[in-house]
Amino acid sequence: MTYHTLLFLFTAIFAVWAVMARKLLTSAIMLALVSVCVALIFFDFGAPWAGVFELSVCAGLITVLFVGAVSLVRTVEEKSPENRTRFQALPPALAIFAIAAWFYLPPFLDELAGWARPGTGGGTIGLALWDMRRPDLLGQVLMLAAGVFVIKSVFPRRTENK
Amino acid sequence: MSTFATEWYLIAIIMFTGFYCMLVSRSIVRQLVGLEIVSKGAMLTLISAGALTNNLVMAQALLITMIVIEVVVVAAGLALLVKNFRVNGSADMWKLNGLKG
Repeated sequence: MTYHTLLFLFTAIFAVWAVMARKLLTSAIMLALVSVCVALIFFDFGAPWAGVFELSVCAGLITVLFVGAVSLVRTVEEKSPENRTRFQALPPALAIFAIAAWFYLPPFLDELAGWARPGTGGGTIGLALWDMRRPDLLGQVLMLAAGVFVIKSVFPRRTENK
Repeated sequence: MSTFATEWYLIAIIMFTGFYCMLVSRSIVRQLVGLEIVSKGAMLTLISAGALTNNLVMAQALLITMIVIEVVVVAAGLALLVKNFRVNGSADMWKLNGLKG
């Protein structure tokens, strides 16, 4: 088994762990580990920029947001926990899916790989971001503005009634 | 089985896990965890396809966009969670109705 496949396997294991975890904090930490594994896969693919973004934003910022939110709702979740039976059914359900997919997916995926049309692979990330995909950058700025607007509308400034 | 097929087979398992989590849970936090896992699967799909077609530069540019969108979605979701917790005192998805103005 190669390092590459091992990383994919670890990502799947941490993902299952994140779903199965009884405590929400464990879930958030496992999600961060999923992000770290995904970032390592990006580095292994030769995509360092995506890896750096994944590591700093997903494994860092999103984990902080999750831990903050979890620490707020933890007491309520511990008082009235969710029904665990459905989560405990994940391993058998996943096993059934994995076995069924083992027979049906690989031939289809091999055929899919045959359809790939190799590109030139030229250019740099700067060229791709600033020249070729400029609307994406505009979309990112608009998306961030939309996020700020959502936060602003969800938590409006309180006006004191005198 | 080729490397590409192995990767996508494992990605399918990761995505199944995320979808299952979103399907069975009523907690907003777990819904977002499921969403995150599914989006990680989508990211891996994108980068794997980029590597297969020798278009990693484009795949990276798309991934950076996707990461930004993911952060905004999670931040908005967690803001709804905090608001729901303040108003209804729970993290239940089905009580989001109580936020109606």
